Amino acid sequence: MEITALSIILALFMLIVLAAGLWVSLSLLAVAIFGLYLSGNDQIGLLFATSSWGASTAWSLTALPMFIWMGEILFRTRLSEDLFKGLSPWLSKLPGKLLHVNILSCGIFAAVSGSSAATAATIGRMTLPELKAQGYSERMAVGTLAGSGTLGLLIPPSIILIVYGVAAEVSIARLFIAGALPGLMLVILFMGYTAVWASFNRDELPRGDERSISLTEKIVALRKLLPIVGLILFVLGSIYGGFTTPTEAAALGVFGALVLALLTGTLSIESFKQSLLGAVRSSCMIGLILVAAHFLTLAMGFLGIPRELAQWIGGLSLNTFELLLYLTVLFVILGCFLDGISVVVLTVAVVLPLIQQANIDLIWFGIYIVLVVELSQITPPVGFNLFVIQALTGKDILYVARAALPFFMLILAAILLISWFPQIVTYLPQTMTRG
Amino acid sequence: MNSIREYFYLSSGYGAGICIILIMLIILAQIVGRMLGFIVPSAEDFSGYCLAAATFLGLAYTFRTGGHIRVTLLIHRLPEKAARLAEALVLLLALGLTSFMSFYSIHLIWESYVFNDVSYGYIPIPLWIPQIPLGVGCVALNIAVLDDFIGMLRGRDPSYLAHEDELKLEES
Repeated sequence: MEITALSIILALFMLIVLAAGLWVSLSLLAVAIFGLYLSGNDQIGLLFATSSWGASTAWSLTALPMFIWMGEILFRTRLSEDLFKGLSPWLSKLPGKLLHVNILSCGIFAAVSGSSAATAATIGRMTLPELKAQGYSERMAVGTLAGSGTLGLLIPPSIILIVYGVAAEVSIARLFIAGALPGLMLVILFMGYTAVWASFNRDELPRGDERSISLTEKIVALRKLLPIVGLILFVLGSIYGGFTTPTEAAALGVFGALVLALLTGTLSIESFKQSLLGAVRSSCMIGLILVAAHFLTLAMGFLGIPRELAQWIGGLSLNTFELLLYLTVLFVILGCFLDGISVVVLTVAVVLPLIQQANIDLIWFGIYIVLVVELSQITPPVGFNLFVIQALTGKDILYVARAALPFFMLILAAILLISWFPQIVTYLPQTMTRG
Repeated sequence: MNSIREYFYLSSGYGAGICIILIMLIILAQIVGRMLGFIVPSAEDFSGYCLAAATFLGLAYTFRTGGHIRVTLLIHRLPEKAARLAEALVLLLALGLTSFMSFYSIHLIWESYVFNDVSYGYIPIPLWIPQIPLGVGCVALNIAVLDDFIGMLRGRDPSYLAHEDELKLEES
């Protein structure tokens, strides 16, 4: 069969099964089987079995359930409360005051959790009621949470970067380190915007409470942050320093999280079981998608679709900027209906040859794709951060999306910034000695 | 009957959970070993096998609790009757696909056994042994899908629907 017709049929088939509500992992499997069948392959089952075995035993992938479990354990501790109490005395002088607690707590929690939904839920549960009680603009409280919740994707450890690293065969340690500076940059952008907004909208902030907080009080508050900062330095420092692989750092992180939960008295048999089952649910979901995506990549390779597409796009002689622009539009549209991990695994097989052909650094592209996925987390109709915050506040999804709009623009600005100055992404990984 | 069923799905979840704990222990042992100067033989192989076991053993539990993601935008907006029909068709397709997975994962174990495939690592392990959880997990998922499909035909709502609207963490 002609390859253009074949590609169109497969793309349509994929759209139909996904829209019909077939599970994402099984949809990928169905498309792969269908494609191989159309091409007259008679070893489909055998290919599936061997590729699944290969994909599910990959050593670098063992970091995935570890980091997920670590997040699940910390989610069940008093961490979010400690973050709130530890940070708020320090931010009382900034315009916008406690709104910054939202941003910074999300940034810090993101450094121990790999997921944006978990970040938004853990922090929001604590901060939203508090901000409301003190009379902050609800719209801004919701917006800062929705925006900075997405930091969970970018700031290492990040589940989606592990998935990308495995799919694109890029060093996960380097990807993690590459995400650190752009993540920090986003935090600064968010805080800067909040401060400017607060200076112009004083009437939407609580008055009063101008009492100054003594330095001793601040130092005492800071002590609450010690355990989590220690855990972050421990996990990320050992990856950056090349002492451990991301997988080893993840196992140490789980151990550290368990110790932390034990010391703060939030670890019970029941919460241990719940954290474990939570980790099973997430890692099996992602695991099956990865297994199916690996098989689909194999099938696509057999059919020659990525190669053809790369040649076709190459023939259009787009420059790098145009290529990235079209890809951004494509990802944002896909992200409106699919979650971030599905977007990455679905597109990597087809898009990576294009990226390599255009001489774009694969690590840089990983960070870029994560930023675009962050955008899609806060765009309706399907944006997981929107769902989480909707569930937390009871506000309808369009209200949350409107509140998050300024932060959408800021993430867009961050994408432009890393395109103009790729060094923001590539500087740190280049200084790494190993990994 | 119901308790046996719940026990079955829960043991799928805990089976996977135990494998995740094993991964952690193997990796920690490897780190400790490096500091004290002994090596854990084939640690990377073993943690890889545990990962495969964790991924596949937990599939049925994850399916049952609505953990596998899908696009529900359309199906949740259909009128009651059409939604049930669509759900039944999706389950039928899923049944076909999971049966395919079960058949060929068992086929893989059988071939590894017949051809005496062993791992390349420090300790050669007959590959059919770590491949067993793959087959078991696929069959368990197959049973879970069949269970919901039969329930659907009898007029019950599928188990995963109850959990799908819950707040899900670690989604992405």
